[in-house]
Amino acid sequence: MDWVGWAILVVRVAIVFFGLLISVMLYIWMERKVIADMQTRVGPLRAGPRGVLITLADGIKLFFKEGITPTAADHPVYAVAPILAMFPGFLAFCVIPFGTSVTLFGREIPFQLADLNIGILWILAMTSLSVYGVVLAGWSSGSNYPLLGAVRSSAQMISYEVGMGLALVAVLMYSGTLRMSELIAAQDTVWNVIPQFPAFVVFLIGAIAETNRPPFDLAEAESELVAGFHTEYSGIKFAMFYLGEYVSTVTVAAVAVTLFLGGWRGWWPFDGAVAWIGPLLWFVLKITAVIYVLILVRATLPRMRYDRLMNFGWKVLIPFGLVWVMITGVVVVLPQEYGNRGRYIAGAVIVGAAALATLVAPLFSHRPASEAEPGGQPEGREVRA
Amino acid sequence: MLTEYLPIVAMAVLAVAFGVASLVVSRMFRPHRPNPVKLSPYECGNDPVRLPRGERFSVKFYVVAMLFIIFDIEIIFLFPWAVRFRQLGLFGLVEMAFFIGLVFVAYIYVWRAGGLDWATSVEAPADADLASDSPRDPMAAADEELAAAMHDAEVAGAR
Repeated sequence: MDWVGWAILVVRVAIVFFGLLISVMLYIWMERKVIADMQTRVGPLRAGPRGVLITLADGIKLFFKEGITPTAADHPVYAVAPILAMFPGFLAFCVIPFGTSVTLFGREIPFQLADLNIGILWILAMTSLSVYGVVLAGWSSGSNYPLLGAVRSSAQMISYEVGMGLALVAVLMYSGTLRMSELIAAQDTVWNVIPQFPAFVVFLIGAIAETNRPPFDLAEAESELVAGFHTEYSGIKFAMFYLGEYVSTVTVAAVAVTLFLGGWRGWWPFDGAVAWIGPLLWFVLKITAVIYVLILVRATLPRMRYDRLMNFGWKVLIPFGLVWVMITGVVVVLPQEYGNRGRYIAGAVIVGAAALATLVAPLFSHRPASEAEPGGQPEGREVRA
Repeated sequence: MLTEYLPIVAMAVLAVAFGVASLVVSRMFRPHRPNPVKLSPYECGNDPVRLPRGERFSVKFYVVAMLFIIFDIEIIFLFPWAVRFRQLGLFGLVEMAFFIGLVFVAYIYVWRAGGLDWATSVEAPADADLASDSPRDPMAAADEELAAAMHDAEVAGAR
């Protein structure tokens, strides 16, 4: 690579990095405004037009706040944890295609930092890494609430990762590639969300749990754990956790758009020099739509109880994901092997499996007594997680 | 080739540099006025009853971690199959059905043994005929005792 190539590389990375920061800023503002609307409040108003600069103001305030390191904390780990929590979101975004490409200085510059041949695996790996920031933060604080919050949320994150991984496997089988650009090419005629709708729902639920957003924000359940794993953090270090959480949310929304909603595909009438604007706009629009749904979920649903959260992850999402993987396999392979006759066989297999499942399901309907009784807590003391 | 990872390396450097720089620069500007109360572990204003160093927590978390490893490895086996499964055709599908079926048997065993039940309430489950054939997990009982002790300690601490 000559120096122009290096310069372009650095500029591209910088644009994506600061673009993500700005999108986080706007997204936090949007979240606060939408939730305020849901609760008939006005929300942020003062900083900038309609309060759009509120996140910047918060960031500057936190920057100049005193940073407290508790005496019982493990100092190096305590300082590293916020950075560990922040950077996986940025790294995961590197493989997302956010547009087509543009020709500048006689070079074609793709709107994607790295088109890895292991795109989906990379995203899974990076989302797994975000557990470390949470665990190390809680452990190194040397305090009770952060430790409980960290242990809880790591258990939650790894549990929902399995369900999310199964949803990704189904998409992968359908598209037959791990590369993000080919995934978008495979959604040329129909977006994956239509044939893979159940996988989409599983993915969204897993993603909400993975990013510790309400209604799965058990790590930060303020009624029981104060602020969970970042109770002892203040000032700029707290801002890092905040930033990391929202960057991962934007990234997860981008992954959902790329895998299920056709990525940057969309209608755009212009060709030539402005042809790249349309896909970029569509990408931003779709991400905003997914984030809007996440905000509505947050504003609507109450926080789940921890045991129900774990039960839902292990007893609903995982078997459902496994079954869905098998259904996808049958539906794709049988018509490919036997033509039209295969379609009928596939239908028969699925109906038979569903019938078998209905017969077997009552064996597993044995639930804890607390949930079997309609509308009431049992007399005995519940063991707390 | 590995050169396609260059932007990712650049992004990692930029993100970490951003984090470190914010911490360092903020340290130069922010006030620093510690006092013993401010630096004590946060416990809603009380003196901490105990500190978590070397403390034990619910054994359920270890069970979850072990189950996670099993299922995550299963998913890792699914990935290469999923990429090539159109070429593998019916053979691959049947093979994978066997594999998933075997894991499913283990899953059902774990479920019936109570490994997936997070909060077992203190009294017996509603349909006792199903519960009776799965003997009560001794670890769960110990866990409950620990949780009860922790609860009492917390209540005492709150007073």
